[in-house]
Amino acid sequence: MFTLVNGLTTGMAVFLVAAGLTLVFGIMRILNFAHGAFFMIGAYVASTLVGSAPRSVLALVAAAVVAALVVGVLGIVVQRFVLRRIQHVDEHYMLIATFAVMLVCVGFVKLIWGLEFLSVDPPPGIDTGVEIFSLFVPSFSLFIISSGVVVFLVLDFVIHRAWTGKMITAIARDGWMAELLGINVPAGIMAAVGGSFALAGLAGGLLLPNQTLSPALGDTFLLLAFITVVIGGLGNVRGAFIAAILLGLIDGLNTMLLPAYPGVAVYVGMVAFLLLWPNGILGESRL
Amino acid sequence: MNRTLSGLLLIFAGAALVLLPLWANSGLVFLAGTTMVVGVFALSWNLLFGYAGLASFGSGGLFSIGAYTMAVMLRGGFEGQFLLLIALSTLAGGAVALAIGIVALRRSTGIFLAILTLALAELLRITLAKIHWVGAEDGIPNIVRPNFSIGLATVDLGRGNHYYWFLCIACALLVALSWWIAHGRFGRTLRTIRLDIERAAFMGVDTHRYRLVAFTISGAIAACAGALFAPWAQIVTPDIGNMMRSTQPILFTLLGGASSFWGPMIGAFLFSAIEFSTRTLVGIQEIITGSILLGVVLLFPTGVAGAWNALIARLTARPRRDEATSAALQPVKE
Repeated sequence: MFTLVNGLTTGMAVFLVAAGLTLVFGIMRILNFAHGAFFMIGAYVASTLVGSAPRSVLALVAAAVVAALVVGVLGIVVQRFVLRRIQHVDEHYMLIATFAVMLVCVGFVKLIWGLEFLSVDPPPGIDTGVEIFSLFVPSFSLFIISSGVVVFLVLDFVIHRAWTGKMITAIARDGWMAELLGINVPAGIMAAVGGSFALAGLAGGLLLPNQTLSPALGDTFLLLAFITVVIGGLGNVRGAFIAAILLGLIDGLNTMLLPAYPGVAVYVGMVAFLLLWPNGILGESRL
Repeated sequence: MNRTLSGLLLIFAGAALVLLPLWANSGLVFLAGTTMVVGVFALSWNLLFGYAGLASFGSGGLFSIGAYTMAVMLRGGFEGQFLLLIALSTLAGGAVALAIGIVALRRSTGIFLAILTLALAELLRITLAKIHWVGAEDGIPNIVRPNFSIGLATVDLGRGNHYYWFLCIACALLVALSWWIAHGRFGRTLRTIRLDIERAAFMGVDTHRYRLVAFTISGAIAACAGALFAPWAQIVTPDIGNMMRSTQPILFTLLGGASSFWGPMIGAFLFSAIEFSTRTLVGIQEIITGSILLGVVLLFPTGVAGAWNALIARLTARPRRDEATSAALQPVKE
């Protein structure tokens, strides 16, 4: 039971990061190496806003939203100057270009915030735990799980239910045709990519407490997010959600059964998944 | 003209490397030795990418397999058989690459192969960091540089710059081997597969087998580079095969030019030069490296080697000018 809660927390944390990554892939067919770095920038921006001890949950969420806006604007800049130009070249060059963007981001983070480790405490209200069925659950875990679920529901609505999803699908499938039909394609792409990057910033802000901030923060989450996105099927938000939960549970079981080797099962699980379902559990999707 | 000029440059660069310990300080010599090893490592990666069209993101794992095999054997007291140890490490890397290739190559290429290899390398790194027999997080320190004997002559590689010169020779041999593989029948067949896998299969090429062999050879050379690196650095840690190590050959290759055999080497030395000259600037170093890389990918997709060839072609043969420019426009020149 404790394993379940822990696993879900990890899973939702990873999903928050992976959501934007899979969206960018769905729209632009680019696997963005720099996503982890933008997540990190979001975390740093939010930590600058709230300080090392945020006053309330609301302050933390507000900081996360501001971080999302900042990172979203950065994302639009990156899209205009880099991503748009590499969209039609060989996929390996895309990886390199976004890797270069990541290096630049890490450089700026080191310049602005320095090399020291920063940490932020959970704000009052979610800094203790609650008892559910005689089980002590840290309320910060509940906060992360609910954030993940809310973000997923909103995304799912935007993509699969509202008109915005149809428009973005049209642009991603056939930009030229969409333009003929009177859709403002550049604006649509910009909004969608900006939104995806904003998700990275939001994740950075929300996951801020209990996190050690260092310029290497991006790498840890990036790899897990990559795994989630690939297992779930590239560009598929629902797949990423399911994959994140699965990964979280696998990791939770790993901590319980093999505490001496933390983090091993995730990679074993991923290799198994990739070999069994090379296109992801829900298949690749163009949004 | 082009060939002569590039050849002369190559000879000049090689001579400068060999003579380096005579005038440079030991820090620079160490950097040059490291760059040579990772240059060979990058060459092995490009053998896979530039010729077979397969991008592995886990080559760091094979590098660390070679390094760990060498470190464990040297610690075990097998110093006398240095050549044998190198061969053994190379075989270990080749065997692991073969096993991965058998399982992975038939099912996945492109991004999936990239992520799969990335995950495998990370798995290896995490596992190594937990095994106490190989020092867990701290790795294996104090690796000796052994004696090296051919026939009657014995050279003590631990003394002075002997190991550096040994590295020069070993790397030159590996480069020659890669050159031979890449430019022979095998390399040409691989390029056929990369350009058009269906047509290659139609012509009777066993595409899967060729790719598997390329994957194995590339892995073996990567492990060999790792094995050479262990006594040079004199310490191996799990981080020797981290994600940065796996991305190193990719950066070098694309900076130098994937379409050229020498591209990864050129990239390795350029990268080292940039890192060395900006080493005191925290943060700015990453920004400069990233910006240069971005500039290369956006402006010169053929890398430095491609830009150089295009420049030479433009300077030497006026009438063939448009050919040179069109070559520069193609992402990968054939």
